[in-house]
Amino acid sequence: MLDLLVTTGVIHLTIGNLVMWLIAFLFIYLAITKNYEPLLLVPIGFGILVVNLPLTFLMREGQGLLWKFYHYGLEWEVIPPLIFLGLGALTDFGPMIANPKTLILGAGAQFGVYVSFFGALFLGFNIPEACSIGIIGGADGPTTIYTTVHLAPHLLGATAVAAYSYMSLVPIIQPLIMRLLTTESERKIRMRQLRPVSKREKILFPLVTVLVICLIVPASAPLMAMFMLGNLFKECGVVKRLSDAAANELMNIVTILLGISVGATMSAENFLKPQVIFVFIMGLVAFAFSTAAGIMLAKFMNLFAKEKINPLIGSAGVSAVPMAARVSQVIGAKADPQNFLLMHAMGPNVAGVIGTVVAAGVFLALAG
Amino acid sequence: MVDWDLAVRIFAFGLFAVFCSLGILIGAIYAFGKALKPSEKGQ
Repeated sequence: MLDLLVTTGVIHLTIGNLVMWLIAFLFIYLAITKNYEPLLLVPIGFGILVVNLPLTFLMREGQGLLWKFYHYGLEWEVIPPLIFLGLGALTDFGPMIANPKTLILGAGAQFGVYVSFFGALFLGFNIPEACSIGIIGGADGPTTIYTTVHLAPHLLGATAVAAYSYMSLVPIIQPLIMRLLTTESERKIRMRQLRPVSKREKILFPLVTVLVICLIVPASAPLMAMFMLGNLFKECGVVKRLSDAAANELMNIVTILLGISVGATMSAENFLKPQVIFVFIMGLVAFAFSTAAGIMLAKFMNLFAKEKINPLIGSAGVSAVPMAARVSQVIGAKADPQNFLLMHAMGPNVAGVIGTVVAAGVFLALAG
Repeated sequence: MVDWDLAVRIFAFGLFAVFCSLGILIGAIYAFGKALKPSEKGQ
């Protein structure tokens, strides 16, 4: 009887496993009942649950099923670029092309990345770890995962969960900062309707962008190239099947693999460390500073601009697409119900994705 | 021991790269926008 019991996982359970089960149940609960990033939190939560079952060896090197997903999907750099292919096929750069100044707001929102980078260094993390923590401020899950897998794989679970948690909390975190840093009259600023963007401009944009960004920061090429390829699929109009596949079936498949692989890195021994709490704190700092920097940069641009920018769209420079742009719209509409900021905010929003990829490329080039 | 020299280089080059690449993109968008206008008017 005792021999039989030893072959089961029951007597090998640790307190750490049970704590991780609670975290897994919490993620699944939040995804199902609160709709917090359900596409990721459900597979992540499930991954956490099964990797913390003793004797299953799902993450045993070379043998475990989830190890294979993690190794070939993340360590081999396959999954995050494929996610970017799908994102590209889903992204409309039209609002940004119509008002290119908004690209500056996407750049400004990367300040938080560096604030958190230095914060992490002061807390005792080494440079590669600080880069992985700082990039959370970009609010871009696949870029955070891509950077962390390269620079600090032992922090993958914490940085990925922090990035997706803060992305899902955009409607809670950002409005406080937006109200604090803007006046009522600034929130009421109306922006001129965006000009229509031609198909040719939309086709040229991904081609020009991949050349510019990959020449300046070659290390960003895997993500940027796939992002722009996906967008070219969408805009060129002659490969609808590829565009649909990238945006739907492929995106869904790699999202499953990404979620369960990230969850699988969160075993009790990897995750239950004081370091993880610091990762979450610095991630929040990064996110808050990125939001604030976008708003302050918009206000600064207003000192010189002929046509004023509503500073609320600056906060959309963090790349949580399209959630951050929607928050700009909601806060703007509260000040003036006739003010439609959504499309204006989409400019810095998608520019923020490009900015975060560039910041990650620099981290990989210099700290990798 | 943190290599502060490298940290400052990452910060400086990172911000420079972000602003520089997005700045060039702004220029490129304005440029191809202008270049395409005449041909689109002719269509």
